Amino acid sequence: MPGRQLLEGKSSRVTDGEQHRDGTVDILLQQILNGLSIASVITLIAVGVTLIFGLTGIINFAHGEFLMVGSIVTWLAVSNGMSFPVALVLGVLAVAIMGLVLERAIFRFTLERPTNGFIVSLGLIVVLQHVVILFWNANQKSIPRPLTTVWEIAGVRIASVRVMVILMTIAVVVMTYVMITRSRYGRALRASVEDRDTAALMGIPVRRYITGVFVLGSALAGLGGGLLIALFPITPFTGGTMVMKGFAVALIGGLGNLTGAVAAGLILGIVEGFSAGYGFSEWTDAYSFGLMILVLLFRPHGLFGGTSGPKMA
Amino acid sequence: MKSNLLRGAALALCLGAPALPALAQDAGDTVKIGVVAAESGAFVSAGHTLPAGVGLAVKQINDAGGINVGGKNYKLEMVKRDDRTDIATAIAATQELVRDEKVAAIFGSESHDFTLAMAKITQPAKIMHFAGNSTLGKVLTPEAVKAGGENHYLFQSEPQEFQRSGSTARGVLSLLEPLLGAKPKKSVLVVGNDATGQFLSSFYITALKAEGQDVPDIIFYPPETTDFSPFLTKAKSFEPDVIHFWYNGDSTLTALPQALELGAAKSYFLFGVDPGIWKERGLTADVPVAMSCVPICWGASSNPNSKPYFDAYFAAGAPHGVTSSVSLLYHDYVHFLAKAWEKAGTFDPDKTVEALMSMKYSGVVSDQLAFNETHQVTHATEVCAAAPGGDITCSMQQPPEKAPE
Repeated sequence: MPGRQLLEGKSSRVTDGEQHRDGTVDILLQQILNGLSIASVITLIAVGVTLIFGLTGIINFAHGEFLMVGSIVTWLAVSNGMSFPVALVLGVLAVAIMGLVLERAIFRFTLERPTNGFIVSLGLIVVLQHVVILFWNANQKSIPRPLTTVWEIAGVRIASVRVMVILMTIAVVVMTYVMITRSRYGRALRASVEDRDTAALMGIPVRRYITGVFVLGSALAGLGGGLLIALFPITPFTGGTMVMKGFAVALIGGLGNLTGAVAAGLILGIVEGFSAGYGFSEWTDAYSFGLMILVLLFRPHGLFGGTSGPKMA
Repeated sequence: MKSNLLRGAALALCLGAPALPALAQDAGDTVKIGVVAAESGAFVSAGHTLPAGVGLAVKQINDAGGINVGGKNYKLEMVKRDDRTDIATAIAATQELVRDEKVAAIFGSESHDFTLAMAKITQPAKIMHFAGNSTLGKVLTPEAVKAGGENHYLFQSEPQEFQRSGSTARGVLSLLEPLLGAKPKKSVLVVGNDATGQFLSSFYITALKAEGQDVPDIIFYPPETTDFSPFLTKAKSFEPDVIHFWYNGDSTLTALPQALELGAAKSYFLFGVDPGIWKERGLTADVPVAMSCVPICWGASSNPNSKPYFDAYFAAGAPHGVTSSVSLLYHDYVHFLAKAWEKAGTFDPDKTVEALMSMKYSGVVSDQLAFNETHQVTHATEVCAAAPGGDITCSMQQPPEKAPE
């Protein structure tokens, strides 16, 4: 079937020369690949959510808007002639700095009362969306695809940009996992989650660690935003949908559990891919959130166990 | 005695109440026109085109000296309110415009549901109300729009949905046929699963079938979807000649690159995406891609009025958007209403309705704009098609007179 992608730049494709196999198998393989791709973006968001929510107790529903700001900064940089990798770094840095400022100026005052933080984050959603609309209007923004090659192997189309996003997600998740589980910083952080007061008595600068986790989670949102705009156009309202799925994945996997976030992201991605392809497509979101409800009912700490947020003294 | 005086004053106020809008206008040299639209929130993309279109018409009329009603010159003033894509805010804004600002007419909203709620305020107050929704047929019945009827002052400034869908389907198929080298036979619809998507697609699928299309499936996706690959893979399994993306322009522009990557169909149709956006973003495809505008396009057009209108529209500061053309569902009708006031020689709403119903107006969209007996307009919808080489051709196919079975 004709119709390979040529949008926003030249593209090429590599065909393995084989005859297409049965169309049903091609479609099945394509849907599995689609599921993996969906999983990568959701997982990246979920990792940020699970770190911030699970380890610091801050319920930041504006995390999706952090992601959107990352997309906007990347878009601005690319629109001003910068290369995508440079723009991506700028997006990550900008959102990390924004996270630092907001944590110091706002969220640290809500640590003892997480509900206040939750309400503050709802307000931040509106503020961030409308600041972006004020300066750059509400129209959709997109950038040329940083990678345009599409491979066709046995009837399955694989876009190189999606492979790039999957590989970057794997790399970031592995680095974060190693840092949290193997480093001195990670051990201290986990001790803080267990009991903040005792950790503080043992000399761990708990408040500084909370700021660090918040900045790291924000940076991951910035990275997610930069990668997202490489895949799809975005609007100032893109963050809302993404953060809901990020929270769903974090809760299914278990709050604060990076392995859980990755596994749950994969499960959700495959569920979404298959439900859209073989079930009632309009119920795709219902399947995902239905799964979250079932997991929370039968395994309140998530499929892989989680922290349920830090324990307060 | 005192109570009798009070009763008399109250009675006089009650009797005079219907004349209040007219009195308010006659008291000054300015006539206020209200606009209720989403300038923030989820509908902002279409919403910001309303004040932009109305504001341009108001400026054009004022720059030309204003309107002469009953031998006196008046300037128009636009009073806009942001409904924040929230129906309660739209209702409150309408109440304020009617009661406090004493507007003579209201334009908006871009959302069918909001318009219905607003009409509950504008119609009892005898305020002229224009809404660019294609779906007001159920409330614009002959009984409701007759003098004394509950929606006598409500006007639909977008063609009925069966007309828009019919005009669009004809345009898409006629433009794609020469580009594909054969008449397209099989179509799959990919539609946003919200109330508007469900409602509009039911007309479009009927229109496609009336044009002889085999439509094996309609694939609904959840609103706010960004990764369309599973839906498009499903569409691909039907091996369609055309995938029609219906109806959200932003979602369509998100889905199309993914469809092209997947090689999902031999051609595509993007509802509500202007060829101007196609050009500005440097989009290309190696298969034919049709696009439609509501009602005419700014990036390329078969309508000679398009270029001067959009030059003025963008020069006034409006951004180039997927839905910039929606402004034309309002701009022409400010001019039309101004002419009706001049013809009626008064701002009296009943006489204004009479004048509107007896006139034809030569606007940007059509030189034969007129309201039918149920206060609805009829005109074609423009469709353009980008050939794989990049050439864009446009046409406006006349809508069917009657809804297909």
